[in-house]
Amino acid sequence: MRNERDFSSADGAGAGQGVGARLPRKEDDRLMRGRGQFVADIRLAGLQDVAFVRSPLAHARIRAIDVPERYRANVFTAADLTGVNPIRAVSGLPGFKISEQPVLAVGKVRQVGELVAMCVAPTRAEAEDIAAAVTLDLEELPAVHDMRKAREAGSALVHEEWVDNVFLETNFEVDISSALDAPIKVTREISTARQCMSPLEGRGVVATFDQRLDQLTLYSAAQMPHITRSGLAECLGMEQGRIRVVSPDVGGGFGHKGILLPEEVCLSWLTMHRGHPVRWTEDRREHLTASSNCREHHYRITVYADRDGRLRGIDCEATVDSGAYSSYPFSACLEAAQVASILPGPYLMPAYRCRTFSVATNKCPILPYRGVARSGVCFALELMLDLVAVEAGLEPGEVRLRNLVRPEQMPFDNITKKHFDSGDYPEAMRRALASIDVEGVRARQRNGEMDGRRIGVGVSIYCEQAAHGTSVYSGWGIPMVPGHEQASARLTPDGGLELRVGVHSHGQSMETTLAQVAHEMLGVDTAKVRLILGDTAMTPYSTGTWGSRSMVMAGGAVAAACRELGERARRIGAKLLQHDPDAVVLQNGEVRGVNGSVTLREIAHTWYRRPQDLPVDVDPGGLEVTSGYKPQRDSGTFSYAAHAALVAVDCQLGEIEILDYVIVEDGGTLVNPMVVDGQIYGGLAQGIGTALYEEMPFDAAGQPLATTLADYLLPGPTEVPAPRLDHMETPSPYTQFGMKGIGEGGAIAPPAAIANAVNDALRPLGVELMQSPITPYRVVEAILARRDAERPAA
Amino acid sequence: MSMVALTVNQRAVRTPAEPRTSLADFVRDKLDLTGTHLGCEHGVCGACTVLVDGVPARSCITYAVACEGADITTIEGLDKDAVTSELRAAFTREHALQCGYCTPGMLVSARDLVLRLPQADERAIRIGLSGNLCRCTGYVGIVRAVQSVIEARRARGVAAEPDGGRKILGPAGSGRSEHDGPGRAERVRPAEPAPPATPVASIPDFTPTAVFTQQFSVAHPPAQVFAMFDDIAAVAACLPGASLTAPPDPARVEGAIRVKLGPIAATFSGFARVERNPADMCGRIVGIGNDRRSRSTTQGEIQYRLVPTGEGAATRVELSIGYTLTGMLAQVGRPGLVRDLAERLIAEFAGNLDRRLSGAAPAGADPVELDGVSLASGLLRARVARWLGRFFSNKDGAA
Amino acid sequence: MKPAPFGYVRPRDLPAALAALGEPEVSARIIAGGQSLGPMLNLRLVEPQLIVDITGLAELKQAERCGDELVLGACVTHADIEDGRVPDVTGGAMQRVAGSIAYRAVRNRGTVGGSLSHADPAADWVSALAAFGAKLTLRSLAGSRTLAMEAFVVGALESALRAGEIVETIHIPVMPASAHWGYFKACRKPGEFAHAIGAVMIDPSAGTARVVIGAIDSAPILIANPAELFGGRIGGDYKERFDARVADAILAKAGVASPAHRHIHVGVLQRAVREAAA
Repeated sequence: MRNERDFSSADGAGAGQGVGARLPRKEDDRLMRGRGQFVADIRLAGLQDVAFVRSPLAHARIRAIDVPERYRANVFTAADLTGVNPIRAVSGLPGFKISEQPVLAVGKVRQVGELVAMCVAPTRAEAEDIAAAVTLDLEELPAVHDMRKAREAGSALVHEEWVDNVFLETNFEVDISSALDAPIKVTREISTARQCMSPLEGRGVVATFDQRLDQLTLYSAAQMPHITRSGLAECLGMEQGRIRVVSPDVGGGFGHKGILLPEEVCLSWLTMHRGHPVRWTEDRREHLTASSNCREHHYRITVYADRDGRLRGIDCEATVDSGAYSSYPFSACLEAAQVASILPGPYLMPAYRCRTFSVATNKCPILPYRGVARSGVCFALELMLDLVAVEAGLEPGEVRLRNLVRPEQMPFDNITKKHFDSGDYPEAMRRALASIDVEGVRARQRNGEMDGRRIGVGVSIYCEQAAHGTSVYSGWGIPMVPGHEQASARLTPDGGLELRVGVHSHGQSMETTLAQVAHEMLGVDTAKVRLILGDTAMTPYSTGTWGSRSMVMAGGAVAAACRELGERARRIGAKLLQHDPDAVVLQNGEVRGVNGSVTLREIAHTWYRRPQDLPVDVDPGGLEVTSGYKPQRDSGTFSYAAHAALVAVDCQLGEIEILDYVIVEDGGTLVNPMVVDGQIYGGLAQGIGTALYEEMPFDAAGQPLATTLADYLLPGPTEVPAPRLDHMETPSPYTQFGMKGIGEGGAIAPPAAIANAVNDALRPLGVELMQSPITPYRVVEAILARRDAERPAA
Repeated sequence: MSMVALTVNQRAVRTPAEPRTSLADFVRDKLDLTGTHLGCEHGVCGACTVLVDGVPARSCITYAVACEGADITTIEGLDKDAVTSELRAAFTREHALQCGYCTPGMLVSARDLVLRLPQADERAIRIGLSGNLCRCTGYVGIVRAVQSVIEARRARGVAAEPDGGRKILGPAGSGRSEHDGPGRAERVRPAEPAPPATPVASIPDFTPTAVFTQQFSVAHPPAQVFAMFDDIAAVAACLPGASLTAPPDPARVEGAIRVKLGPIAATFSGFARVERNPADMCGRIVGIGNDRRSRSTTQGEIQYRLVPTGEGAATRVELSIGYTLTGMLAQVGRPGLVRDLAERLIAEFAGNLDRRLSGAAPAGADPVELDGVSLASGLLRARVARWLGRFFSNKDGAA
Repeated sequence: MKPAPFGYVRPRDLPAALAALGEPEVSARIIAGGQSLGPMLNLRLVEPQLIVDITGLAELKQAERCGDELVLGACVTHADIEDGRVPDVTGGAMQRVAGSIAYRAVRNRGTVGGSLSHADPAADWVSALAAFGAKLTLRSLAGSRTLAMEAFVVGALESALRAGEIVETIHIPVMPASAHWGYFKACRKPGEFAHAIGAVMIDPSAGTARVVIGAIDSAPILIANPAELFGGRIGGDYKERFDARVADAILAKAGVASPAHRHIHVGVLQRAVREAAA
C-alpha cells in the first residue's frame, strides 16, 4: 500500500536523490576511515584533562573533603565554584516539587557517582591519580532505593526539605465507574528494569574560552546544543551570546545526550578559571554507575473487558523511579506524566483512570530514553491484552483487531485527547499476524518441537506521538517548549548549497536526508549540499534532536527555506532568460523557460559576482534564506507499528531464542527508506535489550551493581535477528511531504511482543512473566515456582 | 616515562610513554590517530580493536609498552587496504553504520573474519562479530555487508588464511622487543604510605545485605566459651586478616581487616563495639570500616549465641554473620564472587574459633590473610563445609 | 578509567622473572596477555607497584607432545589452540573450548596460563582442563611442583599459587581413542561469563569418567564418584543413565542454594553428557 504522494516533486524523476530515494550516506566515508571527529578527538593547545571525585555512597552527608596539600591547585569543590547556580528543571504541572542539583555536591550526596570534586591534570590518568588521593569523609544516611517503599510514610527523604519523596503525582480519569461491572477483569503488577542508554560513545566535554570573542566555547557530545547553551547560561549567570555550544560527531545519543550535565557546567567554569582548555570524557564505569538512567516503571493495572474482548476500561497506578534530581530540560516528571497520557495506546475504550507518581530515590536521575515512557506503557498494556484474550477465549491478535482505532475514524481524538493523525492500525496488525503465521504456529505448538523447546508467538502494537510541538509542551511547563523549527539555506557563489539547522545528528543520517529534502526542492545534487548542524554559532535556534522530531521539523524547515530560496533564484533566472517570472519554472537545478535554461550555479554567479545583471526589483535578501516551519497541527505525527515475535523457550536452561520477528510499520512518507529501515533495526536491537538483557540492579544501600559491560549486557550480533520489515506509507495530513517521526518506534514494541511470545510458550505450564528483562534465571525460577505450587504439600 | 618503540601503520615510532599507557591511548594521544575509539576500556565493546602483528587485539587492555617492537595497524593504516576498501563499499551500501563510533573496530574485526573464514554463513559471521558492539544498527547492515564481501571473495576464489597469518605461539605483539623494558629506576612504582582511614565517628546500626549462619560444637562449657568471646584480641586473631590497632575497649575496638579477592586487595580500617548479654549467653560485635583506596565501606556484625549441650559440658556455638559493602568494591559485578570470599572468610573464622576453643592456635599465628594457601588445607575445608549452614542473600535475585 | 601508575619489567628468562616477582617489599603482578588483568588495572581494582611481563619468555611460548601428554607453555594463547598451532591430543576438545572463549581479539592475546592463574570460576579452562585430567607445573625460586588442575583453583579468583610462584606449563594427557568428551556452557551471549559449565570426559570402555560442574561462584566441582551420576556404572548407555537428581544433590551439597541455579547447572551438565555421547 503505497499512497499517492501529496506533494509535487520539483524534479519529477528525483534523479534518485530526492524524497523516497535509498541514497547512500554522505557521512559514511569519514567515519569508515577513522576521520570522524568525536569530542575526545578534539585537540587544542594547552588542553588538560579532568577526572571527578564521585560519591561512593547513595546517600550521605559530607563531613569533609580532604585534598592533599600537593594537589590543592588541581582540585576544586563546590566551595570554589562561587556564583555557579545549581541545575533546576522545574515543571509547571501543579504540585511539582523542585529539586536543585548542585554541579558539585553541597552538604549532601544523593546518588552514587554524584560529583564531589573536580581534578585537573595534563592527562586523564594523572587527573585520576589526583582524584584517588582526595579523601571523602561521609556520614552514610539510609538510602532510598525502592521507589515503592519510598512512597511509604517514614521513608528516608532524598530531599529533606520535602514532605515525601514524590516529585509529582498526577490523576486522570474518564468515567472509570462505568467499567467496573465488566465481565472480564484482569489485574496484575508489571515492572520494567532500570536501564542505561549506553551509546558506544559516552558523554564528553571540551571547554575553552576565546578571549577575542569574549566567548566560552563548549564542545559537547550533545543532542540539543541550543538547550545546553540556555541551561549553561542559567547556571553560570552569563549572557547566552557569550556562550557557544558545538556538537561535533556524536557517537549515538538515544536520549542520554539530551540533558544538561553538571560536568558541562563544571568544565565551563574551570576553563574560565584556569585560562586553558579542559576536557572530560565519560568512561564506561561513569556511564553505568554515575550518569543518567531510564525506564524503571511499575504498574498496578486492571483491564476491564466484555466477553467479546472489547475493552471497557483501564485502571492503573503507575510509579516511575525518577532518581535523585530533576534533569534539565525534561524534568523528573515527563516520564510518569507521559504514562498517563499514552497508556491507552492505539485502542478504543470508554473509560480510563490513571494515577502516576514520579518518585525521588537515591539513584541517578532518569532521562527520556528512545521511546520515552512508551516502551514501558506498551509492555504493560500489551501483556494485559493477552490476558484479556485468554479470558475471552480469543486469539490475542483478534482482541487487538476488535479494539484498535479504525481507519475510517481517522483523524481520531482518543480518550486522553491525543489526536491520531492518520493510518490503518488494524491493517498493520493483520499483516503482522499473517506474516508471522499465527495459525502455523498453533499447529506447530500442538505437535511440539523436536528439540523439546516450547515455542510461542506474541504481538504488540503502538502508535507514537512524534515531533509534537508547542501546544503539547507548553502544557508540561518545562524549560523547553518547541516552536517553529528554522533552517538557513544559502547558495554559494559556485552553485553549492549550504544548509544550517539547529538539530543534531548522532547516527540519524541527517547530513544525507536533509540534503535529499533540499534536492527535492531545488534539484541540487546532494553531493553539493553541505549540512552544518549542532552549533549554536552557526545554526538557527532549535530545541534539538529528541522525540523523533528532527526529520519532520528540520526536514520541514529545510523545505521551507529551500522553497523560498528557489523562488528568489527563479526570479533572477527569469531575468537572465529575459522572461516574465511567471513563465519560468525551477526544475532539476535549473530555471527553465521557452528561451532555454539557466543553472542555479549561473544564478548564484550572477548574484555574487555580476550583480549588475540582476533585476532591479531583486529581493535584497539574495540567495540566503532563513525560514521556519511548523506542521499544520503541532499535536504531533502518529507513526505506528505492529510487531510479531516467534520465540523458542528452553525450559531447562531458561534460554530464549527469537526465531522470527516481523515489523509492519507506517512512518508516513519515507525520505530515505534505507535510513528508516536502519532506525527500525537499531530500535529493535535496543528493544530486545530491554526485553531480555539490560538491567542496572541496585542493592539495598543504593549501590549500582553493574559497573562493566560484562555485567550490563548489551545485545550483540547473535542476540538480534534480522527482522522482516513491511512498510505502509500513510502520509501525515499535517506535515511537509507527509513525513512522520520514526526514530524511536523500533524500541517501543519489542519488549511487549517478546514477553507475550514467551508467555504464550509457557502458558500450558501456567507460567507467566510480568517483569523485564526476562532472563534465563527468571524463566527457570518462574517454572520451578509453578511446579512447587502444584506439588501437593509434603 | 620510558621510550616505547614500535611500528604503527608501517611507520617506525619511538615515543616516551608510561607503562600504564594503553595502546589505544598511545595511538590516540601520542600519535593523534583518533580513529581508534574507546568504548569501554575493559575489553568488551570492541571499539578499540586494532591489528597487532596482523591480528585483531583490544588496544584498551593492551599496554603500549608490552607491544615493544610490534607491528600495529589502526583504521588509518587500512585506508588503502584492499579488503577494507571492499568492506567500506559494502558497509555504505548496506547502511552498516549510523553514528560511526563502533565502525573502525568493526571494520578491523570484519576484515579478520573475511580473511579467516571464507565459508562463514550468517550465523558464523554473527558469532565472529560478537566481540564488537554496535548500539545503532541492530547489526542487520553489518552482517549483510560482511556476508556480501565474503561471498564475493569466495566467488573470486580468493584463498583463506585460517590462522590470520599468524605462525608463532604466544600473545600477538609479544616477543618482538630487543630489550627487557624500561630502565631500572622506573621499574618499580614507589610504595605509597598506606592511606589513612577516614575517621569513623559512630558505629551505626544497619541491616546487612548478606547474612550467613553457621554453628559448631565445642567440648567446653558455655561459660568458658563466653569468656573467650570477651577476649577481643583472641576473637580478632581468629578472623582472617584482622588486626587490632589499639588496645581494645569493649565500647570501641580499633582495628583493621585486610581482605583479598584474587588480585584485589583492600584494607578496611575502622571500629567495632562489643555487646554482651551474660544472662542469655549471647553477644554481638558490630563494626564499620573503610578502605580509602577503593572508596569502599563495609559494615559487619557477628552475633553469637551459646547453647549448652551434653548436660552443660559442651557448647553449641551459633553464629550469625552479616555484612554490607558499599563503594567501588560493592559495584564490581558478579557479587557471587564476593559472596564466595565472604563465605570462605567466615568459614575460616569459625574454624579458628573452634581451634582456639579446643586449645589449638588459629591457623597461622598472626592475623591471617585469607588466601589460597590457608584454605588449601583440605581437612580444614572439609570441616568448614560441614559447618556451613543456611546461606541467604538475594543470590541472583536480580539476574 | 586509567590504571594507577605501575612499574614494568619484561624479563628475558624464567629465573629473571621469578627474581623480579620475588623482590621483597614490592607488590608485583604477572601479566601475560593482560586480558583479565588489564580490565582490573584500568578499573583500579588492582594497583601493583610492578608488572612483570612474562610474554618475552620464549620457554613459555612452546607446545610439544611429550610421550602421553601435551605440554603447553603458560603463554600459549587461546587462538594458538583454536587455530591448531599446537598439537591436538584431545580429539578436538581443546580446540572447541579455545574457540568459544571471549572474542577473537581477546583470544589473540589471552593465554592459557593467565586464565588459569586468574582462577575465575566462570572461566573455561579451569573446568575443561580439570575434566581432561590436566596437571600444572608451578615454578618459584624454590623449585617446581606439580598440581592436578582440580586442586589448583580453591575459590573465586583464588588459586593455589604461592607468593613468587607462577604457572609454567600445563600438561594435558593424550585422550584415549575410546574416550568421549563434551563441553557445554550457559552464557546469555557469546563471550560472556559462563553462568554454568559442564565438562566431561567419559570412557565407557574403561568405565571411567571425569565430570566437572563449573561456574558456580567458587571452585569447580570435580565429581568424586562419577559413576553415581550414571546409576552406579559407566557404560555405553551412559547418556540414558544420566541421573539429574544426583547432579542436583551434588550441587546442593556444594552450597548452590538456589533451585533455579541448580536446575540450570544440571541442564548444562546433561547437555555436556549428551554431546559426549553424540
